[in-house]
Amino acid sequence: MKALIFLFGVLGLFGCRPQVDRIADDFFSRNQQDPTLSGNGDQIALIVEKQGKPTVEMRNLKDGRIIYLRNLSRYQPHSSPSLSWSGRYLALIAQKTKTQFIIIKDRISGKLHHLRVPGNYIPIRLSLSPDASNLALQLINKGKFRVQIFDLSHFLEPDLPQRITSQDL
Amino acid sequence: MKNVFDIKNSILYILFSTILLSGCALPYLKPVKQLNNIISRPYENHREPKLGLKWLAVLTKSNEREQIELIDLRLRRKVNLPGLNRSDALPISLAVNSNGNRVVFVRQRGDLTELYMYRRGIGTLQKLDLSPKGVPRRVSIDGSGRILAVEVSREGRWDIDIIRIPN
Repeated sequence: MKALIFLFGVLGLFGCRPQVDRIADDFFSRNQQDPTLSGNGDQIALIVEKQGKPTVEMRNLKDGRIIYLRNLSRYQPHSSPSLSWSGRYLALIAQKTKTQFIIIKDRISGKLHHLRVPGNYIPIRLSLSPDASNLALQLINKGKFRVQIFDLSHFLEPDLPQRITSQDL
Repeated sequence: MKNVFDIKNSILYILFSTILLSGCALPYLKPVKQLNNIISRPYENHREPKLGLKWLAVLTKSNEREQIELIDLRLRRKVNLPGLNRSDALPISLAVNSNGNRVVFVRQRGDLTELYMYRRGIGTLQKLDLSPKGVPRRVSIDGSGRILAVEVSREGRWDIDIIRIPN
């Protein structure tokens, strides 16, 4: 009986303990910040410092392999990356000539969508919905934060899981 | 000779129309007014938005108090989160899984900065320990709510921990 209680105790302590992994580091990327997972949990996008510039990096979670992202390096610094369900779309805040704007990269078609924020607002954080139908933006104007939701369905194809159930909603 | 000019003009016309039409079809951000009316009250400050499939989790500051809010985007209303917000704790960042059932967040209480998971269906709050110890800041969650990515400060540098939740 005592052995059984001990066994349950050990299982309780260790059996359901979350498993922790660490993202592999390399020589060129020291600090790793601002992680975002794809909806299916297969990919991660994060911000790393490359030659002093905050740069988005995407990795496959299963093998840690870096996924090459074309045409983004000219719009640094990057911040607030966000991925759709399969990782097809990567949204982030980018900058060119001191103006901040939104980039949505379609990794299947290779298209890079540049989106200006309406009004005099500056984008601070963003979140892409898993199906890529909506984008939530945290904006600042005159020291005040606000969150706005924007519809993207008029130019992005949906990125939905293969089988969607009512539990997913 | 006249026919050649007609063909040239037609080609130019088609080319010009195509450019104009594709110019009109340039992607732009279209505000969702019905939803923005819910989250844009002038006396509230909102930050750190995170979208699920039909859910928005956000930090809201109202009456000098910051708290976590979850909005059902289909029904366009806030959802009750019993046991989640505390008056003596400051939420720093958050994330929501695709069906809005799991909310993970980092909060500061006194000198402690800790990572928690809230299961909305059963209303429970679970503290998630970091190993080795560190100070969490930003967090992300996958659609199923079983994988977390956490930005953690350790010995003066930022790491990303991947935490797999067994159930």
